[in-house]
Amino acid sequence: MKESQGVDTAVDLGGISLRNPVLTASGTFGYGTEFAPFLDLRRLGGFVAKSLTLEPRIGNPPPRIAEAPSGMLNAISLENVGVEAFIGEKLPAIPEGVTVIASVFETDIDRYAEVCKRLTGVPRIAGLEVNASCPHVKSGGIEFGQDPAVLGRLVRTVRRATTLPLLVKLSPNVTHIAEMARVCEAEGASGISLINAVQALEVDPETRRPLLANGLGGLSGPAIRPIALRMVWQASQAVSIPICGVGGIENAADAVKFLLCGATAVQVGTSNYLQPSIAGDVADGIVEYAVRHGCPRIRDLVGALEFPGR
Amino acid sequence: MAEAVWEVGGEEAVPIRAAAEVVRNVSEGPSSWRLILRVPGWPGFRPGQFAMLSAGAQQAARRTDPLLPRPMAVYRANTGSGWSDVEILYKRVGRGTALLAAALPGQLVAIVGPLGKAFPPPRPGERVTIVAGGTGIASVYELAARLAGSHPVEVLFGARTVGDLMAVEDFEALEIPLRVATEDGSAGVRGVVTDLLESALEGPTAGADLPGSGRRVYVCGPTAMMRRCAEIASRREVSCIAALETTMACGFGVCLGCATPLQEGGYSLVCRDGPAFDAASIDWERLP
Repeated sequence: MKESQGVDTAVDLGGISLRNPVLTASGTFGYGTEFAPFLDLRRLGGFVAKSLTLEPRIGNPPPRIAEAPSGMLNAISLENVGVEAFIGEKLPAIPEGVTVIASVFETDIDRYAEVCKRLTGVPRIAGLEVNASCPHVKSGGIEFGQDPAVLGRLVRTVRRATTLPLLVKLSPNVTHIAEMARVCEAEGASGISLINAVQALEVDPETRRPLLANGLGGLSGPAIRPIALRMVWQASQAVSIPICGVGGIENAADAVKFLLCGATAVQVGTSNYLQPSIAGDVADGIVEYAVRHGCPRIRDLVGALEFPGR
Repeated sequence: MAEAVWEVGGEEAVPIRAAAEVVRNVSEGPSSWRLILRVPGWPGFRPGQFAMLSAGAQQAARRTDPLLPRPMAVYRANTGSGWSDVEILYKRVGRGTALLAAALPGQLVAIVGPLGKAFPPPRPGERVTIVAGGTGIASVYELAARLAGSHPVEVLFGARTVGDLMAVEDFEALEIPLRVATEDGSAGVRGVVTDLLESALEGPTAGADLPGSGRRVYVCGPTAMMRRCAEIASRREVSCIAALETTMACGFGVCLGCATPLQEGGYSLVCRDGPAFDAASIDWERLP
């Protein structure tokens, strides 16, 4: 049992044992080592590494980011070192005792499965998170996570490709998040992470052009937190597999909100850029909350929201 | 004033994150501001490095709009025992810098730094021409100060008008040649700074690769100015180092927002691989 100030902080995220419920979100934490000057990674439950593809990707032309009210847009196009360089170079540099979840991204289902296979059996990798917010080339660019049939095929295929615990990171750009959550559960996902960035557009009225070279981008940061809380709550009402809540977490109170809405664990994302030690502070702050509320086990907070009429 | 030239390729200091107290924050012209922050645990810096600043750190709930910290060159630092006063020159141009300008002495500003790599130092004996415009002036002060005793250094400032210049007295105090070009002729010569660079580089450049007889140009300022300087230097086969300024969310290689296109294809990150680059390696055509 992982204890801090008499509080049992351990959680089980679909077969991934975490010393506390605070992870960092893929794409906001690099390969972990970038944060060494600011944060002892062992203060975290773990971290989700930058999404990996079979081959390295160089990403989009600039401008790649733009500021938005209480948030930011990005269109990086998942620049990454590729799965082999991650296994060979990045993973060995991560300190011992840090739980690592690898994130997987591809443009077709077979390639997703290939990356998952490659990561399976690699020491240090505790689980996989499949990023379902990528455009599916064969469906004309619709995100995998936007079509229940395509999402179902993706989860079924990657589930067969790996024995590791499998999280599916869902797109928020859907009408019925509960339906997508049910598809993941039915196809054998160990858990789901939500939400990914919200598809967005920001414009320069003077040039009459989008601020991002890519045109569209993904909105993240505090601006999307209430949307994320709503989707986590809706998904938690629909499935019994664990949920990892993501979206605009800035402090421990925000993280507790996600737990109350039904998340078993949380991921800190955009805030890592602004305050590179924040994820550790969030982990400590959840314990303080639990002490203040006389709660002996963090996992007892999960789903404790008192929703009107329920 | 003359300190040792920094080591070629030496390791940069491990950056810190701190809540720094505002010691001084004053307007020095139509839009120029000088900020002095008392930074606990500041590990020192080398010329060309920068820091990420966010105003409003004294509030219990961090301000979320504007959300992102602002990258700022470290102008210079004055270190005592257990403290450092880190000086930042900036222009009040948008909401982030307006918030910074409103920070009063005693209030806190969050700082992450020093970040990025130092300027590559000149080779022994190289004659150095430093070209700067806009907030680029803030990026090259420490460079000029560190080289002043060991290299022949000349500084060229360019601005639209006299009010856009910053820190002229500080550079004058270095007692190195300083020439100014303004487009309206309100300070120095009327014209553009790239014309000053043309004339500075006139004369024989043969043997530029030989130690003791070479020259080097450092430039920081608006993209169009840097690009033109790069072309002038390239035509005369003079090495040119450009320090890029761009938006970034983190400053330490994670958000990948500050990608800069390279001639050879692909991208470098301004925060991690720069801000200073060999100007010939940048694909200026694809730089927004």
